This record gives sequence, structure tokens and C-alpha cells, in this order.
Amino acid sequence: MTPVPQSLAAQSPTAPSPTPQSVAAPRSIVEFHGVSKWYGNVIGINKLTLRVPVGVTGLLGPNGAGKSTFLQLATGQLYASQGKIRVLGQPVWNNSAINRQIGLCPEQDAFYEWMTGWDFVHTSARLAGLSRAAARDATERTLDAVGMTQYQGRAVRGYSKGMRQRTKLAQSLVHDPQVLFLDEPLTGTDPVARHDLMTIIQRLGSEGKSVLVSSHVLHEVQTLTPNIILLNHGRLVAEGNVRDIRDLIDEHPHHIVLICDEYRRLAGRILSWDDVEGVRVLAKEKGLMVETHKPDAFYSRLPQLSLEDGLAIKEVYSDDDSLESVFKYLVNK
Amino acid sequence: MTAPVAESPTRTMTPALARRPPASSRLIALWSVYVLTLRQHLHGKRWMVIAGMCLLCVGLVVLVRATALDFPPLMLEFNFGFMFIPQAVLPLIALIYASGIVQDEQEEQTMTYLLIRPIPKWALYSAKLFATLTTTVILVVGLTALTYAAVYLGSKTGIKEASYRALQAAAIHSLAVVAYCCLFGLISLLTKRILIVGILYALFLEGLLANMPFSIRLATVIYYTRLIAYRSMSFVSAVPGNPDRTTDVAAEIWQLDVHTDPALLDHPQMRTCLIVLLVACAACSVLAALLFSQREFHVKTPEKA
Repeated sequence: MTPVPQSLAAQSPTAPSPTPQSVAAPRSIVEFHGVSKWYGNVIGINKLTLRVPVGVTGLLGPNGAGKSTFLQLATGQLYASQGKIRVLGQPVWNNSAINRQIGLCPEQDAFYEWMTGWDFVHTSARLAGLSRAAARDATERTLDAVGMTQYQGRAVRGYSKGMRQRTKLAQSLVHDPQVLFLDEPLTGTDPVARHDLMTIIQRLGSEGKSVLVSSHVLHEVQTLTPNIILLNHGRLVAEGNVRDIRDLIDEHPHHIVLICDEYRRLAGRILSWDDVEGVRVLAKEKGLMVETHKPDAFYSRLPQLSLEDGLAIKEVYSDDDSLESVFKYLVNK
Repeated sequence: MTAPVAESPTRTMTPALARRPPASSRLIALWSVYVLTLRQHLHGKRWMVIAGMCLLCVGLVVLVRATALDFPPLMLEFNFGFMFIPQAVLPLIALIYASGIVQDEQEEQTMTYLLIRPIPKWALYSAKLFATLTTTVILVVGLTALTYAAVYLGSKTGIKEASYRALQAAAIHSLAVVAYCCLFGLISLLTKRILIVGILYALFLEGLLANMPFSIRLATVIYYTRLIAYRSMSFVSAVPGNPDRTTDVAAEIWQLDVHTDPALLDHPQMRTCLIVLLVACAACSVLAALLFSQREFHVKTPEKA
């Protein structure tokens, strides 16, 4: 894990802007130079300078760290109060042409609810400027790619959280962008959908797409990529290889919330696992809060538990206390 | 959720956009925004309010005709087609639809899906405004046709004459609703309380001040549409209860002094009225598109995350 000052010193923020030729094969997909973003008196991003390299990168940080602001700035939805932002070598604010190269899977669970999944993705393709025939082809391919073909005729309003996340991912992919921004794509999904979505994201990376995945759960991101950027309170805490902060993470117990109708049976099953140190019943939410020091092993067993034991886990999310404590450690170091 | 993940999500995806020139691609995108907005109008609940207003208007006409058999159709047409509809219904239709051009997408958090497309923001607003104008004009033409049918069906007035008057009224109402939409679209970008501001505007400016014989009415939409109507249509009607006497009902109620100024030379000509309304529409639209293009649309992180 490279601490911030050294890491940034190694880069060259003052490098000349890429020429049109270099845009085709940029060294970095996103460049922030001294970027700040204020919402009135609240700071969203604070003098942030960084480069997101080509490939898959994880954008990590607890809630309120500035991840969504970062992505909204990078996709031209927000204007930087200070500093410069370039994506693929081009400025993003009011530069609609760059959107041909960008796909965004937003965090908010918002849709045109009256549409079917197919209609939603097809409309996204048409909004991206694809002809009718091209949009139809791209929609079918993309829905197939995210495993939604069999549900494509159903109205979005009837979709589960996992289906909605897959559909959102499909709309971000449908115009075949060069760069993908995924804002908390795994939040609230069940273990199987989570596993599938991770597989899709990994595959996108292996096929040459640059993907920036934001999350507040380190263990989600490290499965996808070793390259991470850590943000906290709008500042860059660290960037580099994920392995270097693993030890820090493991010093702290990890809390994972599982939502399941049969939460008591689930508790009995989970307590037999050696790496589980405690389980708290959340009767009101119909769920459990599991404490573990080996979150990797725990997460990897969840899909099987869902499939083999017939325990329908509706939602998995992580309390980011552990990550927060690592951030505190890094900031105070 | 146990759907299988298919092989290779993007390997076979052809870079369709790379082959397509940006201009045609942009036109497709804009057309899609236009169609999407029309579909949103169809799926919303606004049309229920509009249907209610139509029923109210037609129902009142039928009620008057049923209870006051000697009431002249032209006077009925004036009261509903040129008083009730332009004063109450048109601003409301425009307000209901134009207020949602931006705010609906913001409230439902779907604006992101539009902003991340290769469409300039000003063009995005323009396409949504154009779709709103389409919807409101269709509604207004339908409402006018129904009202005129209720007024003239079974009356002594010939179908040809009634149809012609309905056509003229529909054109004037369409012009008015277009102007209101452009204006309310702009106001909706300036304030979050567009419904309150819009209702106050319709009540005081278009309702109260426009009916006063002062020059302030030159700043209202309704004044110009009234002049266009007055200069293109006749509103001389028999007096109810006294068929031998006639009255110029429009001049009387709209405070147009036809006694001292029979040709209304103190008032703008029809051509000027048209130009004023169209220029006002264009100015409001351009200003709103510029405002929209400079606006940020911050989406707050959902609570649960």
C-alpha cells in the first residue's frame, strides 16, 4: 500500500494533456488535479489529486468518504468547485461527447419502473445513440451477459434487488463503453447475485475494459482487483495494492449483516463455522449480524449456503466499522 | 436470483457507435429523449387530473344547456371556450406538465440516465420541452373539440361554422398552452416551488391583472391570445332572454373599448400578438436550456448504503 505523498510524487500531475492520439490509449482513465467539491459548507472532495490507471480499480471508503461525489464528478454530473478533471484525456463538464466512451451504473435504485427490463436497457441504448437494429442487438447481448434474458419481459418494479443491479449494469454496458464507473454495484444483493455480478465485472476487466468500482467493503473489491484507491472525508488516504492493507484489516473484527426470513435457522448453521466469532440476532430486520476475522472465507461460503441449505439470504451488507478503523489508522499513521 | 451468467458479456459486442457518425447518433439520442418523455406522460397520473378538468368543462356546458334552453350557443362558447379554458384550464395543464420537465426526473432520480448520454444538456432540455409541448397541445386540442361538441351539437349553428370556430379556438388555445409551458419550464428551473409559484402567477397575473384595462396586461399571455381571438373571430351574440338585442360579449368582458376605438388601434395587431408570444416562447426556452446546461444534478447517497 503506497502512502499518499510518495504515490503522488511518483506520478506527474503536471504532464501535458494527451493528444487525440493518446486519447485512444491513455495511460490513465481518470485524472483529478487538485479537485475540491463543496456543497455549501460541506466538503465532498477535498483537494484531491490522483490518476486512475487503465484496468479494474477499486474505489474504497466508508460512507461519506466522497466516493459517489468522485464518480459524479468523473461522469460530468457535478462541476468541480476547484481543480481540473479529465477522463480519457478530455474534460468532462458539459462534454457530452465523452459519454460515448463512458458507462455509469449509479448507486441509486432508480428506474423507469413501468418499463420492462428489456425496454429499460433498449431505451438506454437508444439514448446512447444506437440505431434501432443496433440497439436491439446490443440489448439482447447485454441482458444475456448479465444473466437477465429470462426476466427481460417482466416489469422492473417487480424485480428483486439483484435483478435491478444486473439491469443497471446492463444499461451501463449496452453502448459498449471504454470506461465503466460502477457505484456500489453489489450493495444489497443476495450472495448468488453478488457472485454473478463479481464474475461479470472480472470478465469485463479481462476483456480490456477499464472499470472503476466503488464500495465500502474491502472484501468485495479485493476479489475484483488488487488496485485500490482509499478515500476518507473527501481526501485520498492511500492508493496501490490491496495486499498491503490486508493485515491491517484482519486486525479488526468484520461485521456482516445477513437478511433472511429463516434467520434463526441461518444462525444455527453459521455458528458451526470456525471463523465465526459471534452472531447477533436482528429480529426486527429479520437478520443476523455476524462477526468474523476471516471475512474472505465467510463471503466465499455464502453462495453455497444459499444454494445447498435452501436458506434464501435476501441481502448481504457489511457494516464498515472495520474499514473505518483501518482508515483511522492510516490517517493517523 | 439464480440466473446463470452467460459466457462473454462483451466479447462479441460490436462497437456500434464507432461506426456511426456523431450527428445521426445525436439525433437518435434526442428522438429517444422525446419518445421517453411522451411515454412518461402516458404513464403518469397527471392525465387523470386533466381528464377530470375535461369532464368538468364538458359537464358544465351540458348542465347549462340542459337548464337554460334559450342560452345562445355563442355566449356559451365564449364563457367556456374563451373564459374558463384559457383562464383556468390552460395554465393548469401547462403547469402540471411543464413543472415535471426537470423536477420529475430529479425526484425519481432518473436524471442520471439522461445526463450520462452523449446529448448536450441544452438539447436534452429542449427535447423534453418539445415532448411536453406535444402532449399539452394534443390535450388542449382534444379538450377544445369536446367543449365545442358539447356547445354546438344539436344547436342551430351549422356544423361547418362550428367546426371552423372550434379549429380557430384550438389553434389559439394551443398557442397559449405552448407559451405557458415555455414560461413554467423556465420558472421550474428557478424555484423548487413551481406549483405554488405557477398557481399564484395564473391567479394574479393571468387571472386578475389581465382583466384590468391597464398596460400591465401587456405582460400576460392571455391578453395576446384574447386579442388574436377577438381579431379573428366574431363574438357578437344575442342577449339571453332578449333575442332581438345583440352584444359584443368579448369586448365587454375583456375591457376592449370598441366604442371609442372600434378598430382597436390602441392595441397590438394580430401579427404583433403572434410575434410577441412566439418571441416570448423562444426567449423562455433558450434561457431555460442555458440554465439547465449549467446546472448540477447532485444525487445523494441512499441512506441504507
